[in-house]
Amino acid sequence: MAGFLERITERWKVYREPGFFKKLDHKWTMVIDLDKCNGCGACVLACYAENNLPVVGKDECAMSRAFSWLRIERYIDGEYPDVKVKFIPVMCQHCSKAPCETGCPVYATYHNQDGLNVQVYNRCVGTFTCATYCPYDVRRFNWRSYKFEQPLDHQLNPDVTVREMGVMEKCTFCIQRIRAAKDKAKDEGRTVQDGEVLPACVQSCPTGAMIFGDLLDPNSKAAKLAKSPRRYRLLEELNADPSVIYLKRVMKEGPSKHG
Amino acid sequence: MKRRDFLKILGVGGVGTGLGYFFGKASKPPAAELIPYLIPPVDVIPGVANWYPSLCTQCSAGCGIHVRVMEGRAKKIEGNPLHPINKGKLCARGQASLQVLYNPDRIKKPLKRRGDRGKGDFEEITWEEGLSLLSKNLTALSEKGETEKLYFVSSQTRGSLNSIINNFMASYGSPNYMQYELIQNKNLLFANHVSMGLNNIPHYDIANTKYLLSFGADFGTTWLSPVNYSFAYGQMRQGEDGIRGKFVQIEPRLSLTGANADEWVPAKPGTEGVLALAIAYAIVEDGYYKGSDAASWKALLSEYSPKDAAVVTEIAEGRIREIAKEFGQTRPSLAIGGENLARYENGMSGIVAVNILNHLAGNIGIRGGVIPNSNGSRTIDFKNNINALATAASASKVKTLLVYNTNPVFTTPKAMKTEESLRNIPFIASFSSFMDETTAMADLILPAHTSLEDWGDDFADPSVGHPVVTIMQPAVSPFFNTVGIGDIILSLAKGIGGKVKDKMQWNDFSDYLKDAWKANYSKDKDMLASALTFDEFWNQLLARGGWWPADQAKVKSVAVSPKGIEAHIAKASSRFEGDEKGFPLYLTTYAHSSYLDGRGANLPWLQEIPDPMTSVVWGNWIELNPKTASNMGIKEGDTVSVESPFGKINAHVYLYPGIRPDTVSMPIGQGHSTYGRYAKGRGSNPIDILPFKEDPNTGELALNVTRVKISRVISSEKMVKIEGSTKELGRNIVQTISPDEFNKMNKEVS
Amino acid sequence: MDRTITYKEASEDISGIITKTGWKYYAVLTLMAVSAVSFLFLPWAYQIYSGQGVTGLNAPVFWGLYLVNFIYWVGIAHAGTLISAMLYITQTPWRRAIARGAETMTFFALFLVSLFIFVHMGRPWNFYWTMPYPNQRQIWTNFTSPITFDVFAIGTYTTSSIVFLFFGMIPDLASLSHTATGWRKRLYTALSFGWRGTDRQWHLQAKACMFFGAFIMPLVVSVHSVVSWDFALSVVPGYAKTVFAPYFVTGALLSGFAGVLLMLSIMREAYPVMKKYVTAYHYDKVTIFVVVLSLIWSYLTLMEVVTGLYANTSQEIEHLKYKLAISPFSYLFALMIFSNSVLPLLYIFKKLRNSFFGRFIIPVFVLIGMWLERFLIVPNSLSRKFLPWMWHDYSPTWVEYSIPIGALFFFISMFMVFIKVFPIIAIFEVKEDIGIPMRKSH
Repeated sequence: MAGFLERITERWKVYREPGFFKKLDHKWTMVIDLDKCNGCGACVLACYAENNLPVVGKDECAMSRAFSWLRIERYIDGEYPDVKVKFIPVMCQHCSKAPCETGCPVYATYHNQDGLNVQVYNRCVGTFTCATYCPYDVRRFNWRSYKFEQPLDHQLNPDVTVREMGVMEKCTFCIQRIRAAKDKAKDEGRTVQDGEVLPACVQSCPTGAMIFGDLLDPNSKAAKLAKSPRRYRLLEELNADPSVIYLKRVMKEGPSKHG
Repeated sequence: MKRRDFLKILGVGGVGTGLGYFFGKASKPPAAELIPYLIPPVDVIPGVANWYPSLCTQCSAGCGIHVRVMEGRAKKIEGNPLHPINKGKLCARGQASLQVLYNPDRIKKPLKRRGDRGKGDFEEITWEEGLSLLSKNLTALSEKGETEKLYFVSSQTRGSLNSIINNFMASYGSPNYMQYELIQNKNLLFANHVSMGLNNIPHYDIANTKYLLSFGADFGTTWLSPVNYSFAYGQMRQGEDGIRGKFVQIEPRLSLTGANADEWVPAKPGTEGVLALAIAYAIVEDGYYKGSDAASWKALLSEYSPKDAAVVTEIAEGRIREIAKEFGQTRPSLAIGGENLARYENGMSGIVAVNILNHLAGNIGIRGGVIPNSNGSRTIDFKNNINALATAASASKVKTLLVYNTNPVFTTPKAMKTEESLRNIPFIASFSSFMDETTAMADLILPAHTSLEDWGDDFADPSVGHPVVTIMQPAVSPFFNTVGIGDIILSLAKGIGGKVKDKMQWNDFSDYLKDAWKANYSKDKDMLASALTFDEFWNQLLARGGWWPADQAKVKSVAVSPKGIEAHIAKASSRFEGDEKGFPLYLTTYAHSSYLDGRGANLPWLQEIPDPMTSVVWGNWIELNPKTASNMGIKEGDTVSVESPFGKINAHVYLYPGIRPDTVSMPIGQGHSTYGRYAKGRGSNPIDILPFKEDPNTGELALNVTRVKISRVISSEKMVKIEGSTKELGRNIVQTISPDEFNKMNKEVS
Repeated sequence: MDRTITYKEASEDISGIITKTGWKYYAVLTLMAVSAVSFLFLPWAYQIYSGQGVTGLNAPVFWGLYLVNFIYWVGIAHAGTLISAMLYITQTPWRRAIARGAETMTFFALFLVSLFIFVHMGRPWNFYWTMPYPNQRQIWTNFTSPITFDVFAIGTYTTSSIVFLFFGMIPDLASLSHTATGWRKRLYTALSFGWRGTDRQWHLQAKACMFFGAFIMPLVVSVHSVVSWDFALSVVPGYAKTVFAPYFVTGALLSGFAGVLLMLSIMREAYPVMKKYVTAYHYDKVTIFVVVLSLIWSYLTLMEVVTGLYANTSQEIEHLKYKLAISPFSYLFALMIFSNSVLPLLYIFKKLRNSFFGRFIIPVFVLIGMWLERFLIVPNSLSRKFLPWMWHDYSPTWVEYSIPIGALFFFISMFMVFIKVFPIIAIFEVKEDIGIPMRKSH
């Protein structure tokens, strides 16, 4: 008996090794400079186009079922004329300690070796637990079988599945682009270079507010920006350890000298 | 069960399954079951994407795009990373142009009017029939010797399309080719012409400026070249040099761009021009202007002392002087005048005032200021505007009208009676791919390609200090039975015959384009210097997406002088129609960031993504200050009727603290009566209730020119917005640091 | 109960409930079954066909009425087990007449629980993925997920409840098989597993019931604790409360006891013969439990609010504001307090306990109040999560109203069928209660 227990504990030690679960191939990170972001919404549309997000129409939008994986939140402080408007793009934060991942009973959402929080559409049974647990409200559900009106279906990205009714989905950091870059790098016998992977939103961002890269690569632009003194993460007090890093907006505090 | 029964059931079941399989097969088209491209066409590898460089035509900025094409279908549009205008970025409208190509509401075949005009009753005809119908009409017109009664109106076209239309009209014998769209910046062009002697729009170097003073320029969404300016804005804020530029926005309603400004100066609507002159006066008076002619400037601006202006603009004198000080002392600084300023009744003089500011601060011709563009000169016909067409049509001086890519019925005020005057025209042919309001009036519709299927080129204006020419090439083969606009014109020339045919001897428009570029090539020493043959050059052009020599000699503008512009300075603040008692609120309109002048309203993506400032989707709204609304007992989401002396429309109320209490604001773009399933019958069009006011110099329609009154009405339609709450509630969602802290921080880092 | 009943009378009374069926009963049963089909199964089929889009669920509010009813029926299921198992172990005499009814209620309530899980799921046809079973892809369920806890907790609870119910019924089935004819005889004979009433068999039966009673007792506490962890293990303001496990268990028992009271009262009206077995004595005992539970519940509700106020974060305050200060939820909250905290206290007055008011009105109010408690927790908390931009209200659609109502009809019709097949009062246990002099005279 004692020998058996010893064997078991011996094997468990592998997993008990500090940091075993943090050994990742990559740690994809997005840095969003809120001082650059002007809230134009190009990233939102890029996401629609890249990820085959359905257009749900006015009635469904009224029920808060718009599919935007990425949204730009706008907060307004103050009254006229001391109005302060702040924009913040919010997408799946790919938390390292994701609340959603503990919720799913079937492992439809889990953390992969790239530090991404991924969603397996085929495995999803639709308990909504992940979406309920998500503090950032970034998960979207396929309430219906959404149709792409002919011939708009010709624009569907063949690299991304069209999700069926009854499954949860969310921002993937454009995992298809990450895959493509990794495959290409592997074919050429090298590692993925900084700037090789650009999610659709980052690619399109007119102001260049979004930077994407590997945090494990200390020379990547994202890793450098991630050390900025302006860095903060959304709802950091929840300790979900998000992978999206925001850089603080530079803005005067208190009432401004308007009027 | 007996063994025999079991076998029977098994057999029947087996046959049934097999039959079912074959029936299933037979009912599907065989192609659905097969992988196409057993022998693929050139360029097609199933599963591998091709990226074709081309040109975005969603607005007049002229961004270069890359179209991702897989198996012959366009999948995504991204910015061309080599392109100097948009540097690989692209705005929402540009990316959505994919849905122009695959729009279910496209006109798929040539159509001929069957019922009454404007009723939308058309029958399908072939291209041969359509072209011969039109060329017969034109032949008949020229036989009667009334060639000048042919009018051609198109959107702002630059480059080869412009030249082929000009060619065609000239060889046909009509001088009446006019360009019209709602947003064509004629006031800006004219003001720059009279004050700086420029024939095109200069490059506003936002990226490198340290103090940006914007008079209602919504450069983040719609003004001139939004992607270029957005990128520049990012550079200005967090550029390489680490010095963060300051940005002040002057406008009555906080636009998306204004929302990002460090300071918002909500001057009274119509007084921004006066404010600009007052700032200019303060610059001179307080000695920030170093020129020798300071005295004559002071004399010219004497009427606009900050003290007097403070009363008119409702901006404190100290504030004006402070802006003057910062603007005059910060090096380099830059003032820009946007659509909000340019679309007042005396908008052109407002832009002149902005140019004066730039001159006084010494911003013209320097890095981070106003850099004149060398990109050839555009001949802008300020006289040949849309009202000239309407007037001619009303006087029955128009026999045949050709319309391409513009929608004057939608974008002109009802008071101008464009629709009625078009009814006077015996024959209207439209080359639109969509059933917009103007095309619905047509007798013949010959649908042209969308930009992803066609050839073309574009000379960007504003450019970025050096010429930028973008080539448009077909990324996909035509999806419907349409023909390129250039090819339609060439076919027409052939159909008309005679001298028109002789002068237009090209096989198709791509040949024309290539010939035009051969001419450019042989003329331009930069191109010749590249030591490439023309074919090599042409291939490189197509592969890169265009031509942009960065090292061209800089051009200089004429210095702004007090004498030259005296005549163009605003004498007073801009006038608004409607008396203050009956119509207590100023109405300002603006181009919506997604729909622009209404052209984007038929794209489901653009309808679905929330408006950046209000988050409203699938409709439009009127913005109202919460104080004004509560005084009137109006709640958010209520429907109100918006009444000006010239008409009445309904709109939903959105409460927006970023607007002056005496002002309401409405976006342009919705309210289409036709234009496809996504756009039709959605919201209302504020242009409908505007008076007809055009600038006497430029013919530009004034958009911020009337007062309105609003009152609640009952409506079953609802406004849908995405936002839940816009209050942060101290949750530290968008964290900020003060500029001082930021500057300290920068020093610590470096 | 009347201790002067004879064994014979007891047997005949109770088997009479099974065999004597009037047309009215059939009419009501048919009505209930038809209603169940049209309110539950047809809308559900519609929902499966068109997707969850037919509900009013939306981006922040992913858990709505279905989850409310899921928890609600878990709660109802609790009293049955508590009455029969806990009181069996403690050999509380007054449980005997009502235990079978309560256990049956548990059984069908658990049936509805699993039904609501299926109704709630986006892809219910894949429900078996939530269970760990060997498969070639070596995919396991996520054992950290409270939903997986649920699967186990409710699975265990359902299995043991069925076994407990069945073991307790074996002697009765055997005795029924003597008098029954036709299919009933065959059924009872088969299900009584050769019960002959030997000492050894009685001994084993008692032992088994004791074992399962002891086994289920901790389940009563754990199942609803686990269900509460569906919420308490998240970070959502309004969900993440340490008080939730006892709060939910107490609430469950409160609603369960109210359910038992109401069920017994209805059955007594339907079968006046039951008045002999379920008497004022039983009401007396059960209502005292209700008062105690109501007091505990009130305390925990207060704690829930107070801890939120004490935290004093914007998240908690906005959540509480939404729940307590904004119409219509403020009214619902007031109604909940009235029905769960105020009304049950009236049971202190002995006269009320066995009055019509005490037998019908208060239980109905408690049942409504407990439903409201779940409603005010589940969708309401989600309407005010962390990012105010995504705040959105929830208004259920007709499908979401219809399915719970249909489920209630389904519950009633299943119950009615059960009554006609199995003894709803434990014959042998009632007989144990009969006074010694009367036992001989059968």
